Amino acid sequence: MSLLSTHGLIAGYGDMRALHGIDLVVNPGETVALIGANGAGKSTLLRSIMGLLPVAADMVQLDGAPVGGTQPHRMVQSGVAIVPEGRRLFAGMTVEENLRVASEHAAAPQGQPWTQERVYDLFPILREKARTNVENLSGGQQQMVSIGRGLLAQPRVLLCDEISLGLAPRVVREIYEALPQVTAQGTALVLVEQDVGLAQRASQRLYCLLEGRVTLEGRSEDISRDDISAAYFGASHALD
Amino acid sequence: MHWIEGIVQGILLGGLYAQYALGMALMFGVMKIVNVTHGDLVILLALIGISFADFAGLGPWSVLATLVPIGAAIGWLLQRAMLNRVVGNDPLPSLIATFGLSIALQNAMLVVWSADTRSLSGGGIQQASIEIGPLFVGVLPLIVLICATLLTGGLDAVLRFTRYGRSLRAASADVEAAAMVGVNPKSVYATATAIAVGILGFAATFQAMRSTVAPADGPFQLIYAFEAVIIGGLGSIWGAFTGAMILGVSQAIGFRINPGFGILAGHIVFLAVLAIRPQGIFQRKS
Amino acid sequence: MSYRVERMTTSGRIALLIGAVALGAIISMPWWASQGLIRDVITLACYIAVAQMWNMLAGYGGLVSVGQQAFVGVAAYAMFVLAQTFGVNPFVAVGLSLIAPALLAVPIYLLLHRLEGPYFAIGTWVVAEALRLVATNMPLVNGGAGMSLRVMTQFSAHERAIAGSILAALLLLVTVGGSYLLLRSRYGIALTAMRDNPVAARSQGVDVQRLRFWIFVAAAVGTGFAGAVYFMVQLRITPPSAFSMEWANLAIFIVMVGGIGSIEGVLIGAVIYFFADRWFGEYGASYLIVLGLLTLMTALFFREGLWGLWRRKFDAPWFPTRRTLVQGDR
Repeated sequence: MSLLSTHGLIAGYGDMRALHGIDLVVNPGETVALIGANGAGKSTLLRSIMGLLPVAADMVQLDGAPVGGTQPHRMVQSGVAIVPEGRRLFAGMTVEENLRVASEHAAAPQGQPWTQERVYDLFPILREKARTNVENLSGGQQQMVSIGRGLLAQPRVLLCDEISLGLAPRVVREIYEALPQVTAQGTALVLVEQDVGLAQRASQRLYCLLEGRVTLEGRSEDISRDDISAAYFGASHALD
Repeated sequence: MHWIEGIVQGILLGGLYAQYALGMALMFGVMKIVNVTHGDLVILLALIGISFADFAGLGPWSVLATLVPIGAAIGWLLQRAMLNRVVGNDPLPSLIATFGLSIALQNAMLVVWSADTRSLSGGGIQQASIEIGPLFVGVLPLIVLICATLLTGGLDAVLRFTRYGRSLRAASADVEAAAMVGVNPKSVYATATAIAVGILGFAATFQAMRSTVAPADGPFQLIYAFEAVIIGGLGSIWGAFTGAMILGVSQAIGFRINPGFGILAGHIVFLAVLAIRPQGIFQRKS
Repeated sequence: MSYRVERMTTSGRIALLIGAVALGAIISMPWWASQGLIRDVITLACYIAVAQMWNMLAGYGGLVSVGQQAFVGVAAYAMFVLAQTFGVNPFVAVGLSLIAPALLAVPIYLLLHRLEGPYFAIGTWVVAEALRLVATNMPLVNGGAGMSLRVMTQFSAHERAIAGSILAALLLLVTVGGSYLLLRSRYGIALTAMRDNPVAARSQGVDVQRLRFWIFVAAAVGTGFAGAVYFMVQLRITPPSAFSMEWANLAIFIVMVGGIGSIEGVLIGAVIYFFADRWFGEYGASYLIVLGLLTLMTALFFREGLWGLWRRKFDAPWFPTRRTLVQGDR
């Protein structure tokens, strides 16, 4: 049985509908990439899963049970966490405090729990900066805190929204190299990513979104560049 | 001598105002709302306390011990039943809702307790004073000030060092992000309001012991709390405390210049601070 | 095929006609109505004016004030001082007194606009309280004892009725008519955009701060006008009555219950408040409890008010401001 799935998920902002029936499946321990142009609905999809946008209950299922529209803090407690777009750290609080808020409200851990120490092992620079206020960190370090915060929620599936955005290539590499350690213990990852190549390399399966619909899905290694560019830019649409 | 005495009286008065201001600073800091019934709740709790003293024969300290949990319960209920529905980016609904409640509450108190001014007997403590150097200082005002300092320090410690404090600071910084790491905003809010109104249990007891209360007095306490918070700088607990001291001193000195000028002097200092240093005197760098 | 922009609707035309007839009726009151009725109509006009000004502030400007009594009191006191102390003709004094709220609104706005949403509101309250205390301590206005407008005795009852009726009509014309014209003008689009989303309005080139400033000043003048007229008819003023919280109270009740962000709502709310006050005012505290709870309930469950409820069923605005694209030639 899949861990997390969406079924004909429809969502939007006010009168504007951004997603027109998304079917997504995430299995335990796998890495799924979501690619698509700006405005394709990737972030909206993650926000809908997380309960930040109103959706019908059966549109999102966790362990086969309907959880759509559940409040975000309850989603966290049932094992879904998010590394939000724009990092969204708690300004005025230190790195350690940011991490602590997450671990103090975490889900019951499955297997070996994430601890502050393990997060520091994953991103050693954070250990040095533990007592620094987060607004004084570099963008990459802030992203590491945000990922660490997501991990400390002890998720079974972690939704990562554009974690490479605006970071230096070296930092992106550093962060992506850390991800296998996350999935190694059975945590599934959903990566929303602008860099298609990176997304393809980092994931087992891949979904491409265009204008609120899934235009391509499959095993990442089987998908060709041409398939992706057709799905990404809607070439098939143009030919209709 | 005259002026030093005024300043001392003002600081002591500030101790009472700090107890009004703490809860307002806390609630605004985390929810960006002002509870217009803040002052009315002081009066409500004071009147409840006075009735307890009258009918159950409770002494002032028993009244205090009763009013704090009652206040906390009222605050929790207020947030759960009402304020959680109106917290948001638009300031209008929370303001109007609590404004309406304030009118209803003032008049309900008028029906129950009539317009008479009442006070709480302190069993002689009101008259006691101690000599500090050349000054005579009332024991009760001193207790109020010490209590205010302890409450401020305690609240500050809760915010800094406890799980709840961290979740509250996280929710103040970014409520959606807090929810995304598992913090339940509505329960953080309910606890914040429970603390805020619980502290008013102290304020109510001391207000009723130091002077008198009547159902229509609430708006004044609200305004003093507000002025203290703004003078001290938004969002800072010790700022609210210091703002309360400055307000108390301004009123006490104003009162010495001319008894009709006391309260007005506080308003003038408030407006001057807004004009000269709108971020408040003790606002931390953001 | 051609298109044109249509703003007037049939319901709007009918309402305009009724409005014109009503103003005519108000002006002609001294020749057909009783003294009591004239007084009531003037009072109602003052309620409408104060509420509509609050509606412009809170409903469009995003400026929630609970201190509009500051401008009621200042204008009314200015009028009393000019007429009673300096012997200016009282009717001229009403006009001149409007300078006071206009001048006062400038520094008040500059001081308070830095305060965030709800703190702005409490700030206006502090200002109103401060002004009440100033009036209480000011020998020029006879301190806490208040003033009487004895100069009015030089006019006959009929003359006073004529002046009061004309002023009431003028008050409605300026506050309600003025608001309507403003909302129909190009500023109206900016105001409506600002009401719906200030951030987006700003990004679309609306100078939100500037517009807010002018609305605050204009609302101060409109509110002051109502205050001057109201207390001219009362013939007596004291600091607690002039700077009474009642003014904020009634404005908020009228606008919220009637329907914020619409002129129609203000008219509905004002009539309800007026009659509620007449019929149930004698119950004092119990009546005010109900009034407060109604305001509370409206803010919690019923934010669009009565007019909003009506509008959901019938699209027939009395004061249409929406532009509709209509096909075909005129």
